[in-house]
Amino acid sequence: MTPPDLPGETPPEPQPFDEAEYRRRQRSRANLMGWLLGGLAFLFFFITIARMVVPK
Amino acid sequence: MAQSLTHGATALPADWRDLFALTKPRVMSLVVFTALCGLLAAPGSVHPVLAFSSILAIALGAGASGALNQWYEAGLDAKMKRTAGRPLPAGRLDPQTALQFGVGLAAFSVFLMLFAANWQAAVLLTVSILFYVFVYTMWLKPRTPQNIVIGGAAGAFPPLIGWVAATGSVAPLPVLLFLLIFLWTPPHFWALALFVRSDYAAAGIPMMPVVAGETSTRRQILFYAVIMAIGAIAPWPLGYAGALYGWTAALLSAVFVALSVQVGTRTTGEGDLMQPEKRLFAFSIAYLFILFGAVVADHWFPL
Repeated sequence: MTPPDLPGETPPEPQPFDEAEYRRRQRSRANLMGWLLGGLAFLFFFITIARMVVPK
Repeated sequence: MAQSLTHGATALPADWRDLFALTKPRVMSLVVFTALCGLLAAPGSVHPVLAFSSILAIALGAGASGALNQWYEAGLDAKMKRTAGRPLPAGRLDPQTALQFGVGLAAFSVFLMLFAANWQAAVLLTVSILFYVFVYTMWLKPRTPQNIVIGGAAGAFPPLIGWVAATGSVAPLPVLLFLLIFLWTPPHFWALALFVRSDYAAAGIPMMPVVAGETSTRRQILFYAVIMAIGAIAPWPLGYAGALYGWTAALLSAVFVALSVQVGTRTTGEGDLMQPEKRLFAFSIAYLFILFGAVVADHWFPL
């Protein structure tokens, strides 16, 4: 529910939606996620190899 | 996808820098270093990939603890100048994102430790995360001025976890290193609490200077510094470390106690710059770095 405007008070301006910022953040997170998943795939591969090499 | 509410009613994806800040990177550096020293001081050799993965798991576990701590304390952080700029109180990140990030990171760190090292290290890592979040952050910190004395155990785990990741068992030296960080925590944090006292008071956190007063805190800093010095030197006469570590510990602990005497025996007036307290706080960080470096140096290059 919107409160009634007081006399002489102007309602706050709605902030414009920053499409460029939205896209930039989405892209940077997607890139980061890609690199992280790639890095983890490599890491888990090398851990598997290392565990096979190291005697129990 | 995780969202943050930063532009009015428009949902924006959280910026990765804010998620990174949530992990308290500066605290993590000390955790990583002490864990690495614990791992390198352990007998035998560890495959470099497994060593790296174990340290990464500890770092991620510490990051998760930091994120969950900031999620729980967002309201308190907003009241303190020192922490008001953090992503949650500043409104750059929404709490749900922080919670999901922290829980996910914690679960992944334990899984990675289990896969790369052993179940003993994974259990210890789990205990340290749970201890930090539930015992320290949620239970002790808002209730008692002894919060950091008991809660210090959470920060003392890394060298023990590093050692157990390398060997699969606990030994006297990593327990003594645990004890060293445990005893180092009160003088370190109380020195900080003395010069940001008004911040803690504003947030209603019962830190020692706020509850017991400055004089009592100063005496306790000195008391803990002396016990810590004994604990730091102990591995040498007990035969768990050599002369290189022993002399380094003796020398640095003497300086630590001297700085603590300065802090412990003085009184301050209005407008005091708190220089001795700031000096002790800064030195305490260097102290821990150098001492743990000496543990490793002593293991690899004994005198």
